[in-house]
Amino acid sequence: MLVLGIETSCDETSVAVLDGDGRVLSNVVSSQLAAHAPYGGVVPEIAARAHLENLPITFEQALAEAHATVEQIDLVAATAGPGLIGALLVGLSAGKALAFARGIPLVPVNHLEGHLFSAFLRAGGEPALPADFPFHGLVVSGGHAELVRVESDRISPIARTRDDAPGEAFDKVARRAGLGYPGGPVIDRIAARGNGSRYPLPVGRTGDGSNDFSFSGLKTAMLREFQKRDITGEPVDSASLSPDVVDLLASFQRAIVAALLDRVETVHRSAGIRMLAVSGGVAANSELRRTLSEWGEARRLRVLLPERAYTTDNAAMIAFAGLLHYRKNGAPERAAPVARSRWPLGTS
Amino acid sequence: MPEIRPAGPGPERVEHFRSKSEAETEAIGRALAQELTPDDVVYLVGDLGVGKTAFARGLASGLGAVAREVASPTFAILHEYAASDGSIVMRHLDLYRLADRSEDLEVLGLPDAVGGVPIAVEWPRSAIRTALPPTREVFFKRTPDGTRWIGVGRPSHAGSSAAR
Repeated sequence: MLVLGIETSCDETSVAVLDGDGRVLSNVVSSQLAAHAPYGGVVPEIAARAHLENLPITFEQALAEAHATVEQIDLVAATAGPGLIGALLVGLSAGKALAFARGIPLVPVNHLEGHLFSAFLRAGGEPALPADFPFHGLVVSGGHAELVRVESDRISPIARTRDDAPGEAFDKVARRAGLGYPGGPVIDRIAARGNGSRYPLPVGRTGDGSNDFSFSGLKTAMLREFQKRDITGEPVDSASLSPDVVDLLASFQRAIVAALLDRVETVHRSAGIRMLAVSGGVAANSELRRTLSEWGEARRLRVLLPERAYTTDNAAMIAFAGLLHYRKNGAPERAAPVARSRWPLGTS
Repeated sequence: MPEIRPAGPGPERVEHFRSKSEAETEAIGRALAQELTPDDVVYLVGDLGVGKTAFARGLASGLGAVAREVASPTFAILHEYAASDGSIVMRHLDLYRLADRSEDLEVLGLPDAVGGVPIAVEWPRSAIRTALPPTREVFFKRTPDGTRWIGVGRPSHAGSSAAR
């Protein structure tokens, strides 16, 4: 069995081919990263037009890399939300057309659910790890911070961000420090040579007793620290940063990791986590990976970290989530799926 | 001869507020929400970390949204906030990542795709002013003592919200 996944919900156009065991045969992401850098994180062309231009070549390449033909595809999975309607429609319409022309089922997939299951995907042609319910999922990216409990038939939201997502905080702080885009990997590299406990930075709770995240206070505190040092966002070479700024950035990263760990630990104490599956772009951060792994070892529970290739937006995770749906529920009804700008996790 | 006005935003009347905390910023947003009609377009203008998202959260909760739904739309660009019955009561647009070109706004399907409920817009620049002109502009400034000055203005071209 072969599953074709299509993802066009935001910046990336991606197409992937998986087999029925969740082996990733190909995962092509037409990353526009090279085009982003000169704009300091501003996407020059996020338009639906860009997805439309990227999709055919991404599709051809995904099939070629998987050594598959379109006739061999048995199932199509496409992101149907949440996202920009104009962008979603490109991938979902292509998925619909393919499914209709070939007489095969199409599973509409929630982008966040794709992330949630991405931790189970393995690189190097290995089959996906079996989804072992129930587990807790932590999705941390440029747009999201979501902690959820996942059962075989239900996703229950536990905590989410009330303001900035952690990846967004990384990007905005890096940009204001003159370090370019994307901010996460840049700060990760700088923090590796700094002292993360030098500056204790505030990471707020929401004040209403919930476990929700809040990263805007931390971002504001960093801007204040930059102001004190006359850092205005002029581009700088990360190798020439003063030890003081290196420590400041390391402390910033430490604060984000500490906030995530704090909430995971709180939830573990009250609800008991069996296994934690981490995903999203920030799951590529080396300090977060190390900290959560050590936490899991100390608590004797499994922490599943995603392969770095599946942390950012990609179609392999969409194909996999679609495959899991299909295995559980069979082919969805014939009714044409619609693109949904808003689709909270845990709602059908 | 029509009166010549400055080309900038040039609010006609500005109401001033001072906020000492995120909670106060949110309350000012909640109060403004009571005046809004479904046609209103509220620009939120100010530097990073001055409280634009907190203000938007106030607007959303004042309009009946579940406050927990509100988060920064910088990455997603457009968020829709719903009341507990699932109906959309506000949209929240963030143009931080978009280039200031009208072609780049096409993906948003403006203005049709955002009608029917008030919309808050962060990081508006010139292209959006044509596609989705403001009926209110809220300016945020950090003062030296760390409090925030918030000015709520009605742009001169928007005598009524029917200007949209």
